[in-house]
Amino acid sequence: MGRIKKKGTSGQAKNFITRTQAVRKLQISLPDFRRLCIFKGIYPREPRNKKKASKSSTHLTTFYYTKDIQYLLHEPLLAKFRDHKALAKKIARSLGRGEVGDAARLEKKGDPKLSLDHIIKERYPTFVDALRDLDDALSLLFLFANLPSTSNVSPKTIALCQRLCFEFEHYLITTNSLRKSFLSIKGIYYQATVQVQDILWLVPYKFVPRITGDVDFRIMATFVEFYTTLLGFVNFRLYTSIGLVYPPRFNGKSDEQGGELGAFTLEGRGIDEQEQNLGQASEHVNGDPGAKVVADLPNGDIQKQIAAIENLPDAEQDGQQDEEQLPEEDIHDAIDTFEATADDADVLPQPQASSNEAASLFAPFTFFLSRETPRQPLEFILRAFGCKRIGWDAVLGDGAFTNNENDPTITHQIVDRPLSASSPEEQATNASSDPSVSQVVRPGHRIPGRTYVQPQWVWDCINEVKLLRPDLYAPGATLPPHLSPWVKPTKGAYDPTVPLAEQEREGEAEEVEDSDQNGAREEESESDAEDGVPVITSKRPPLDAEIDHHGMDIAGSESDSDSTSSAASVASSFGGFEDPAASESETEIARNEHQLELEAEAAGATFSEARSITKANGAPVKGILKQSQGEEARKKAAKKRREEEEELERRKMMMGRKKRKLVEKMLYSNKSKDDEAEKLRAKRRRIEAGKS
Amino acid sequence: MAPEQGARKRKAITRDSPESDEVVLSDGGEDFEVPLPNGNQSEDELNEDEGDSSDLFEDESDIEDDEELEDELDSDEIPSDDEENAKNLERGEQSTHSRDIKGELNGGPATNYKITEDANGNVRFLYNEIDPVYDSDDSDAPATTNTIGNIPLSFYDSYPHIGYDINGRKISRPAQGEALDALLDSIEIPKGWTGLTDPATGKPLELSQQELEVLKRIQMNEVPEENYDPYPATIEYFTSKTEQMPLSAAPEPKRRFIPSKHEAKRVMKIVRAIREGRILPYKPPSEEEEDDPDVKRYDIWANEAPKPDHPMNIPAPKLPPPGYEESYHPPPEYLPDKNEKKAWEEADEEDRDRESLPTNHDSLRKVPGYNKFIKEKFERCLDLYLAPRVRRSKLNIDPESLLPKLPSPEELRPFPTSCYTIFRGHEARVRSLAIDPSGSFVASGGDDGMVRIWQLFTGHQIWSVKLSKEEAVNAVRWRPGTDAVILAAATGEDVYLIAPPMSENDIDPELHVKSRELVDAGWGYAANGASGKAKKEPATQWVRPGSSLQDKGVLVKFSLRKTVKVIAWHRRGEYFSTVSPQGQSSAVAIHTLSKHLTQLPFRKLKGLAQSAQFHPSKPIFFVATQRMIRSYDLSRQELIKIIQPGARWISSFDVHPGGDNLIVGSYDKRLLWHDLELSVRPYKTLRYHQKAIRAVKFHPGGLPLFADASDDGSLQIFHGKVVSDMMENASIVPLKVLKGHQIKKELGVLDVDWHPTEPWCVSAGADGTCRLWA
Repeated sequence: MGRIKKKGTSGQAKNFITRTQAVRKLQISLPDFRRLCIFKGIYPREPRNKKKASKSSTHLTTFYYTKDIQYLLHEPLLAKFRDHKALAKKIARSLGRGEVGDAARLEKKGDPKLSLDHIIKERYPTFVDALRDLDDALSLLFLFANLPSTSNVSPKTIALCQRLCFEFEHYLITTNSLRKSFLSIKGIYYQATVQVQDILWLVPYKFVPRITGDVDFRIMATFVEFYTTLLGFVNFRLYTSIGLVYPPRFNGKSDEQGGELGAFTLEGRGIDEQEQNLGQASEHVNGDPGAKVVADLPNGDIQKQIAAIENLPDAEQDGQQDEEQLPEEDIHDAIDTFEATADDADVLPQPQASSNEAASLFAPFTFFLSRETPRQPLEFILRAFGCKRIGWDAVLGDGAFTNNENDPTITHQIVDRPLSASSPEEQATNASSDPSVSQVVRPGHRIPGRTYVQPQWVWDCINEVKLLRPDLYAPGATLPPHLSPWVKPTKGAYDPTVPLAEQEREGEAEEVEDSDQNGAREEESESDAEDGVPVITSKRPPLDAEIDHHGMDIAGSESDSDSTSSAASVASSFGGFEDPAASESETEIARNEHQLELEAEAAGATFSEARSITKANGAPVKGILKQSQGEEARKKAAKKRREEEEELERRKMMMGRKKRKLVEKMLYSNKSKDDEAEKLRAKRRRIEAGKS
Repeated sequence: MAPEQGARKRKAITRDSPESDEVVLSDGGEDFEVPLPNGNQSEDELNEDEGDSSDLFEDESDIEDDEELEDELDSDEIPSDDEENAKNLERGEQSTHSRDIKGELNGGPATNYKITEDANGNVRFLYNEIDPVYDSDDSDAPATTNTIGNIPLSFYDSYPHIGYDINGRKISRPAQGEALDALLDSIEIPKGWTGLTDPATGKPLELSQQELEVLKRIQMNEVPEENYDPYPATIEYFTSKTEQMPLSAAPEPKRRFIPSKHEAKRVMKIVRAIREGRILPYKPPSEEEEDDPDVKRYDIWANEAPKPDHPMNIPAPKLPPPGYEESYHPPPEYLPDKNEKKAWEEADEEDRDRESLPTNHDSLRKVPGYNKFIKEKFERCLDLYLAPRVRRSKLNIDPESLLPKLPSPEELRPFPTSCYTIFRGHEARVRSLAIDPSGSFVASGGDDGMVRIWQLFTGHQIWSVKLSKEEAVNAVRWRPGTDAVILAAATGEDVYLIAPPMSENDIDPELHVKSRELVDAGWGYAANGASGKAKKEPATQWVRPGSSLQDKGVLVKFSLRKTVKVIAWHRRGEYFSTVSPQGQSSAVAIHTLSKHLTQLPFRKLKGLAQSAQFHPSKPIFFVATQRMIRSYDLSRQELIKIIQPGARWISSFDVHPGGDNLIVGSYDKRLLWHDLELSVRPYKTLRYHQKAIRAVKFHPGGLPLFADASDDGSLQIFHGKVVSDMMENASIVPLKVLKGHQIKKELGVLDVDWHPTEPWCVSAGADGTCRLWA
């Protein structure tokens, strides 16, 4: 017989350690332990069996993996923490003695600097690992970059966060690796793809955020400390991988004037051309361009120049067309699309949006941002999608291509202010006068020859990776809904981009109509009364709708039987989905049958009324027919569903208890999803009905 | 005890003189009557009636003493007077002798001595002998006279006395009764009457004026002592004025004028340290020099090595991307109606199914700041370090997640994109071509019976030979390895080995000589071997070609029975195989270069042999027939595997440089990728061509590329990355269609070959041109 095994020496009891035990083992204070855990990425675990893992009877304990804690034991940071504690004691002692100078010296000299570099390497052995974990880092750093400096958040931290964030944005701009962006109520989401890794982060809108008392900034500061180190290394790697010098040159003066992205100057391979361009641009801005031009050249020359500049894009397009006409049109670097010639082959996926497309999306345009638009996100997005020339109002800060709203090279202007009526004559006069003279343009004034759009256009364009119709986004127009680019259409879920009819369950519309019918009828009768017109109105072009009203009236006035009225209304609603080009002969044949059916179902009086209508107006026949068809469809659908349910029950009977529960759980969650989708569909149906 | 008794024996006793009250306090006991003034004789008499006569007498004498004392010591303090009285009393009680003396010496205070005359006739004071009784000098302890102890006085109610004194004599009860009452009524209540009975004596307790004042002061919370000044003026014992001269006249000690040796020592220590450079002068850190530690200046992932994933490592789940309802301008159906909104607002914050309700803003400028932003980020931080992580298997696996993630187009680069050079010169179709191992020449052979060698970059023809007048050159292949430049070419049934003599610019003459030697080395062996193994007739005879050809560099010629279509070299360049599809048993032949030997490894082959390839690293030989590809182990001489691509007629195939993957092109327009580890069936079937596929080729130099050539006049370039990891399948991405060759008589591109290192490929077209794609 072997030795009796002692309890608590192996297995879960040994693998897990409570937090108190861990803190005691490491001999540090709880706040220090917290910092250490954040830096090292140690997190609590859920043991498979809590009872086995814990020696105490309390259940509310946090467990750590014992090996994690052991691994923390020889962490160089621990020694740093102890040094810091000793130093704090020394400072406290000198302060107690009143030796302020000593304390200051100690604080300045002796503070052990925490270096997290080795932890970055440990936690992210490869660069891709680091990229994979960049979501939270970017979100938090962008938040801190937008925070006001308080006692909790030092201005130095904020400046660091801002610098890192701008550097990262610059990389994305240079490589055109921004993919998607989304305006949510929380802030602006961005998604970039760097080395196959999708990175998604959220940037708050530029408002002073509300800081509530229940937020512990010490914890967030610890995270920020770690993330800044991480992003610093990531930025270095990203910059050097594309041959740029890191850190980029930072122009403090420009930053003070609100230069933001423009305060950084990238240096390195392949940037020279851009730099030249930038240099030109800055020249253009700094030296008053209009004045210079006016001074140097006679007026006619200016006009010629402008004309030349305006013609430029056209010329480019022409060039492209010429190229297209050439037989060797496939001399380009892009990947060709392969199309299978037969069905039996495998379909190989090909990458869709290449950075080339992203780089060329806004490349030919010059944008101007009005002063009410958010400059920072727009500048970032436009530049990441290839736009080189972005001008904005001087109010928005430094670094613009031009501050002159009248600049003739501007092709697009982004405005976000309500439409104000301005007479076209004035526009004409304004436009004809020398653009360089009047820098200030009255708000609401339109300069001909450029496209005015609302900011959402930019976002929708980049998500679709093509230029959308700008007239839908014209100032003052009702914008189309802004949709998240990350929602993948799944089966059964509601998709707002697809017409309602395509995603409805069979017979869903009828059911809903059925249930809504009572309320709807009341409403409609009310509206009728208000109108004063008995039934048929010119507002309702589809025929079935008219019949609907006939039926309604009959039901309301003549009969109390619910069945008829409901049948009528159901039929009317179903009519919308009926193929309008149904053949006449079919109609004729079917008519008799359905009339008979109706006879059986409905009360005699109603039927006679209906027939009288049929006689009076030839068209309603069809309506009644459809009505009955709808009924049939509904019945069929209901039957089918019932059968399916039964079948499911049967199958569930055959399963074991465990599996059955699993299936039920799945079904339940699926059903809740379906319900959600159905609700949305119902809402949309109502909205569409309201519109028509 | 006192109050109890007092309450019981309250008596009204009249008194006139308050002056004599002090005695009462100090003594008590028998002296109660002492302070009675003389005018109150009647009371005395009354007392005498009841009390003991002797006692009374004593008392009277005492009174007399007292009166006298009072007269004399009017201004005297109370205590001394008391003491005196006490002593007198004691003496009076205890010794008759002293009483006598008192009586005699009535006049003065110094009654305890007698004045006599001494022997010289001087005055001599004779002091009384002091009787040292127990408490003779104890002035504090009250002289308890009643010795009954701590018992109620009521026990003596039935007796005429109320106790006993220290000598055992009875203490008589003071007068009381109706007579007394009547008397008292006639007398007004004296000042200081308390109505209390003295517990010790049973007599009424009365307080003097002074005592009353003391009590009053106590009541007022004052110091009981009269004329006590709580705030006396400060007496300056030490003056606050600074004196001009020191108080001490001692001279300054010497040590104050001598420099400290200890200090000198310490200074020297510092000086020495400075001299030795151990202490550096403080320099304020300049702004430029200070390296900002926040700016990272080195690549931490410079030599990265992936760490194997530990099962206990659970990475934090990412936050889900936002849905439609989070939009600032969502579709109208996502907006909550009144009921939903109300329900949401009424619900407890923890019960809500979503954090915020969808709201609609018609333009971007109307979007307000999100006030829970910091809170949410903070909670995310808490989740990251505080939330226990568990791995849970999910019920519904999203099929999307199983799909492979495509590499970005940038990572697929480089691949050939356009035609770089066109090699014109062949008068008919170019059947075959190959780039030499150094990557500088292209050899091509065509229907005109010519073999030509071109410079790769310029397209300039540098060498050509006409091998046959009517037969086409079906295959040209360079010998692998850069140690020699040898070309194998097949025309009809003949196979030639050529060491092309080229100009010195193109080829090192030594290399050419070496190549010639390599080819010629086999002659001797052939002669010897033929003699040694005379029994078996060799499959073929290696011979010298005609002298005109020899001059051109064509060194060896041998013939097989049927038309040779394919040549494939072994990686070492020692062996090469030829395939002649019509050859039946001699369809596949393996030739040894150094021995000029030909072997026919297969006695019988099922189906028509189409192509053959050596495995790039192992001794394995692949032979493709019309439908199957068989792989043979050459060392053990046995069949390993039969690969079934499922194609009707295989045109060509190629083995991946890694050896585990195969691509097969077929005349029925299919390109098939085989993973040999996975299955004998194709891993992917690609049908991107309109016409038959003539040739397929992997890139030999490590780039994940492969190409196929088709009769529709196009080449297609694919990315095909093979991962060494067994878990991951190869990823194949179509990259490029290269068009340029013209279709002649239903034939397009007939052969394709890759540059050994660069992402360039060459193709041979039926239009008589070759093209370099880069």
